[in-house]
Amino acid sequence: MKNSNRIAIISALLILTVAMAVPAQETGLSVMEKVYNRPSGETMTADLVMTLTNSRGSTRERTIKQYKIETEDMEKKLMFFLAPADVRDTSFMSWSYNDGRPDDQWIYLPALRRVKRISSDKKDDSFMGSDFTYDDLGERHPSEDNHRILREETLKGENCYVTESIPVDSGDAFAKTVSWIAKDSWTGIKREYYNEAGEVYKTLTIGKTEKIDGYYVITSMTMEDHDRDHSTTILMENVSFDDANIDESFFSERQMQRGPRR
Amino acid sequence: MKSIFEGLGKRPIFLIIGIIALTLVFLGGIKQNASIETDLDEYMPSDHPAFVFSDKAEELFGIQDGIILAIEHPESIYNTATLEKIRKITTDLPESFPVIKAEDITSLYTAENITADEFGLEVNDFYTQAPSSQAELEQLRRRVEDNEMVYERLVSSDGRAALIMAEISDDVFSDEFYANLKEYADRWSGPETIHIAGRPVVEGELGKLGPQDMARMAPLVLIVMIILLLFLLRSLRDTIINLVIVLFGTVAAFGLKALLGIPVYSVDTMMPVMLIAIGVAYGIHMHNTIDHLVQLHPGIEKQDLVRKTLTAMVRPVSMTAVTTAVGFTALLTSEVLPVRFFGLFTATGVLLEMLLALLLFPASIFLFGPPRPKKKRKQAANLGANTSSPGKTDKFQERGRRFTKGLTKHPKTVILIATSLTALAAFGATQVWIETSFLANFEKDSEIVRTDNFVNKHFGGTSTLNVILSADEPDTFKDPQVLFIMDDLQNRVEEDPAAGASFAVTDFMRRMHKVMHEDRPEYNKIPENREMIAQYLLLYEMSGDPDNLNQVIDYDYQTANLTIQLKSDSSAVMNRIIKEVETFESSFAEHGVRMRYAGSGYKAMVFSELLLQGQIWSLALSFAIVAVLLWILFGSLFIGLVGVIPIALTAVVNFGVMGLTGIPLSSATALISSIAVGIGVDYAIHLIEHYRSARQAGFSIAEAAADTMSHTGRAIILNTVAVMGGFSVLLVSVFPPNRQVGGLIALNMASSALGTLTILLLILIMMDRKERFKIPSSKTSETEGSAGDSRRKPVNNSQQTNYPGGNK
Repeated sequence: MKNSNRIAIISALLILTVAMAVPAQETGLSVMEKVYNRPSGETMTADLVMTLTNSRGSTRERTIKQYKIETEDMEKKLMFFLAPADVRDTSFMSWSYNDGRPDDQWIYLPALRRVKRISSDKKDDSFMGSDFTYDDLGERHPSEDNHRILREETLKGENCYVTESIPVDSGDAFAKTVSWIAKDSWTGIKREYYNEAGEVYKTLTIGKTEKIDGYYVITSMTMEDHDRDHSTTILMENVSFDDANIDESFFSERQMQRGPRR
Repeated sequence: MKSIFEGLGKRPIFLIIGIIALTLVFLGGIKQNASIETDLDEYMPSDHPAFVFSDKAEELFGIQDGIILAIEHPESIYNTATLEKIRKITTDLPESFPVIKAEDITSLYTAENITADEFGLEVNDFYTQAPSSQAELEQLRRRVEDNEMVYERLVSSDGRAALIMAEISDDVFSDEFYANLKEYADRWSGPETIHIAGRPVVEGELGKLGPQDMARMAPLVLIVMIILLLFLLRSLRDTIINLVIVLFGTVAAFGLKALLGIPVYSVDTMMPVMLIAIGVAYGIHMHNTIDHLVQLHPGIEKQDLVRKTLTAMVRPVSMTAVTTAVGFTALLTSEVLPVRFFGLFTATGVLLEMLLALLLFPASIFLFGPPRPKKKRKQAANLGANTSSPGKTDKFQERGRRFTKGLTKHPKTVILIATSLTALAAFGATQVWIETSFLANFEKDSEIVRTDNFVNKHFGGTSTLNVILSADEPDTFKDPQVLFIMDDLQNRVEEDPAAGASFAVTDFMRRMHKVMHEDRPEYNKIPENREMIAQYLLLYEMSGDPDNLNQVIDYDYQTANLTIQLKSDSSAVMNRIIKEVETFESSFAEHGVRMRYAGSGYKAMVFSELLLQGQIWSLALSFAIVAVLLWILFGSLFIGLVGVIPIALTAVVNFGVMGLTGIPLSSATALISSIAVGIGVDYAIHLIEHYRSARQAGFSIAEAAADTMSHTGRAIILNTVAVMGGFSVLLVSVFPPNRQVGGLIALNMASSALGTLTILLLILIMMDRKERFKIPSSKTSETEGSAGDSRRKPVNNSQQTNYPGGNK
């Protein structure tokens, strides 16, 4: 008994040590991969309220119904403008490929009654004319950067890893990013973008993260562009996951013309 | 008062040490603190509504002046090397010049090309690497020529020139920056020629050239004046004193300014001009009086001479200086800050010059003894004795007599001539136009003008006018009706050969409309449907560079910026274009849209209008001040009003000649009319004072007039000749505005002298005959006879020996 007791204690201690050691073994890459691979459902539907604010404090507000599907090799998004009224039903579709091919994009203007494909050779395309790029919205694969953990600290009451990511390909817009990642939800809290001169030129702040249908979802975020003195806030409302009515065939030119499912 | 000057004059060494010490303090101040302000924005009254609005609009739409690098290839820019050069300069500029931000550079390399084909819409760069094959180069040329937003804007229609434009903020341009930029352009030249143009270059060069040329010409002006003074005064001593007076006045004005930490503005180039032209008068009048006294009293004692001189001169010299100074302080009403400082410090300089004149001449007498009477004058006097005139008269008195005789014989003729000349001048004055063109200030064959002509010939134009359209309601600029009016306006304005191009949200709409319709040319127009415009705008915001759109429309689609490119920076041209633009005012008003203007060219125009207004106001005000001062000093409202006549005539003639000869009003030429006040008042006061003293001393009207002419008249003519001669040197200046300054100063001196010696004298005589001229009572004064009265000798010789003198 004594022996078995001792073994039990030792084992317990061992398990404790190992358990404690596991988080310490996180690397920059593993943290970023956990964020990237955080479960988010196969499909997602949400209403986006996007507010653009310029240096003078003027704002443009747009409401967008967004549908998203994750497939094995790509992410497809279909977005319908709900407001302002004069652009209602304007729709936009993007297919982003995991293998790094340029995105395919389509636009439908109801006044023109025609779907047009858009192709662009510009890097770091802004998301719908906002301060966010598609990369910022979680589509940048961790393998595109070299990561390391700088430190651990508490931000907004969350225990965070502070990681630094330096692009593998030097042609990127930023020289590096520093991200605050919440340990328990593997969601970002804040990210700073640095230019070549070592200055922060963009800051992403997460306003709110909610757990919806068992998934962590960022429902409020703001990107500030310090050079242009411009910012964009995106609020997510009416978020739902795994809608049975939505499958890959929904992400089509036909659907773009038909309008959002109501 | 007199005893102070006499007392200080008795200690010439102290005085000289004091002046040297003060000069050193002022020079030290200039060396330590003087800074030159060339940024025109610093001149503008920033709280004026037009400027407030323009500044706001400039901030809203990011309107900035730009440096233009024009790359000219002997055959065509569509070759690998030139395209590569455009790319390299575009990317290298912000690195070589950290003040230039990468996002503020526009060139064919940065331009985006939105195109469409049957498959869809493409947003591409024109090129990322310069194409190498002939086919690709040809394709690039076609793409450029198909894009109305680039063709003839960034690449010339003949394909031989391309532009790289870099917007910079107002405070960036400096000599060093320009020199570096020129060197930079040279380094990239060959086989292409690289031209540098743009408003900052012209503005910067202008701010530098004027003062530079003035600094070169000023010594020449002084040298010519010294030679003239030596010749006219025949006294080295008095010439040197005169020189010391004007130099000290100038150094003191700039020195005080520097010590108070006020920067030197370009209008301050006019400060030495004023101080030299006005300061010489004090010395000449002092010299003239001393000379006269020495003639009358050969062998006069130092002390006696000084006392007599001061008795005669303290009153008129201090009166003229104070009135002139007060006249200049009228410029304090100007809305333009540098003009206010100019008025204040010129006034200070004038007062110091006056003090110096009253101190240095007595000091020179104490130090070197009374000047010797001149031989030639004696001979003239002897000759004069042979004439029929009674008493001791000299050549000058005889001339004065003949002149006044002629004058009083034909008063109607004189007044008629004067009136018709004034009428002609007044008509001319209505022809004066304001010109704020910077380029007009350069020689036609100068590098700057040639470069500007080159860019204007091949592209839209180097100058811009921003028409700012503000609506009552948001989303107004999604209304096709409003865009149609804008489009009409652009078409109308572009019919004017001076307006090379225009750019507005309409151009984006035309381009999008055409692109969305497979580039069919019939769709190069404004869409007729509001939703379509809104959706095109959204599409551009999503797929293009949103900053491009931010330059033409605000966030609420409530304010739009329509940029008109002009091939001339002349304000006359801008006014013409604004008139054309204004014809659309009522059409816009129907949609609740209001038109206003912005941009540096527009501000410069408003600024000079303000300057002109201010100048006219302060001229009018200084007339009033001078009239009141004369009224107080001479105790007669009539004299006050009459004394203003020469000033008014001089001012009218000044503007009249400008109008008739086509010299436009600019910041420099506008200020010259101030000299009319400074000089005109001097002449008038000396003349009235002398005439009054003569009458008081018992002279008849005719004799008093003759004596005034021979004495004060001589001083006035000496002064006029010396200053006119000196400033005529500026007529050969290489900088056209300085030539105008020289010519106008000479003109003002001449008309002041002529106006004073004819009209003013005539009016005095006529007033006197009608007993409207009050002569202060004195023991010898008696009622004079009427017009027909013959010349009357002075009561006795002792009376004349006191002469010239007041009763103080």
